[in-house]
Amino acid sequence: MDIGGLLSTAASLMITGMIGVFIFLTILISAVTLMSRLMNRFDEPNSNEPVRAAKIHSQQGVPQAHIAAISAAIAQFRNKQK
Amino acid sequence: MDGLLNLWHATGIANFTFPALIMIAVGCLLLYLAIARSFEPLLLLPIGFGAILTNIPVAGLSDPGGLLYYVYHIGIDSGVFPLLIFMGVGALTDFSALIANPRMLLLGAAAQFGIFATLFGAILLNFIPGFEFSLQDASAIAIIGGADGPTAIFLASKLAPDLLGAIAVAAYSYMALVPIIQPPIMRALTTKEEREIQMPQLRAVSKKEKIIFPLMVLSLTILFLPAATPLVGMFCLGNLMRESGVVDRLSNSAQNEIINITTIFLGLAVGSKLAADKFLTVETIGILVLGALAFAIGTASGVFMAKGLNKFSKSPINPLVGAAGVSAVPMAARVVNKVGLESNPHNFLLMHAMGPNVAGVLGSAVAAGILLAIVG
Repeated sequence: MDIGGLLSTAASLMITGMIGVFIFLTILISAVTLMSRLMNRFDEPNSNEPVRAAKIHSQQGVPQAHIAAISAAIAQFRNKQK
Repeated sequence: MDGLLNLWHATGIANFTFPALIMIAVGCLLLYLAIARSFEPLLLLPIGFGAILTNIPVAGLSDPGGLLYYVYHIGIDSGVFPLLIFMGVGALTDFSALIANPRMLLLGAAAQFGIFATLFGAILLNFIPGFEFSLQDASAIAIIGGADGPTAIFLASKLAPDLLGAIAVAAYSYMALVPIIQPPIMRALTTKEEREIQMPQLRAVSKKEKIIFPLMVLSLTILFLPAATPLVGMFCLGNLMRESGVVDRLSNSAQNEIINITTIFLGLAVGSKLAADKFLTVETIGILVLGALAFAIGTASGVFMAKGLNKFSKSPINPLVGAAGVSAVPMAARVVNKVGLESNPHNFLLMHAMGPNVAGVLGSAVAAGILLAIVG
């Protein structure tokens, strides 16, 4: 095949190749998204209680006891630095 | 006297040819890069040594009957070694960053433009006298842009076995040079504000999702691109062994012993292709130039795609992570992290870059499948 013919084949290969890669990976994206949604939906009924408990927990923010412990540790560390 | 003369004719000194000496020097250069500069030492050391062994006169290690001849035919001609490596890479890969943010697959896809643009470039080189690349040759050279050693060797062994030595050396050398090639391109194509963009933390991914992911990738490959199933299939097997958690022994073997043993012989076999008559050609120079070009284009198109995604996306995307789309796991992701930290010392992009990085591995395997299906 002459170079001109090869070039046009290469150009069409470039376009089909890129389209192919994008189509394949786009399908994969939708498949992964769908799978993640399904998984989360199936998981929810089983682990309903712990999830709710965790949510309530996080709404209240960090427990006072933790804050106290962390502040104490920071204070101690700063004192040591001096 | 005759006996002494015969002995003299059996020495290396009497039988050296100039091209073989140059190739032994190339082998020594690869050894130097591996040992003194730590450039992909796991591969360049056996490749460099293989290059020395294959160019030893009289011994004929690469002639039919020689050790390297068999290693090459059993492992690379058959395509077995790159596939075993791919299984190990699958067992080493954690897909959670990608499952948490699947859009990163688009960056892995965009970076494959480096491959297809280089294919065009390789054919363009035919205008220069001395170059005669067929479409098969061009495809095998272009896959260097996938920045994935096993994929490049697999495709080259199928499409252009004569160019395999140069292609493998170019692929691994440029992968070692990722920290040098990529940052200037990344900086040139992004503004400081863009490089400073912080990305939201990725969600946690459940074990079930991680187990289903390789099976899903395999099913899609079977349905749409069976030509890529050797690569993708072995990759998914390795990954399933890792994520299933029930075959830790097998997963550990795939990650350690099998990949290590295969790497030694793969390196030797690739080195055995660095024979003077095959390597000291003008085509090798073309391959080295095209390989660098492929890397640069792949990096640039990944960055551009990430910029585009950032415009349309609700959650911000740092354009730098696009550069990790050229696989070269995990080097490219580390480079992204480093360049990101230069602009904002509190911006750790490593986990975000791992998504496009492993997407790049899938992307180049898919691109290799497409090339095999159309050109092979």
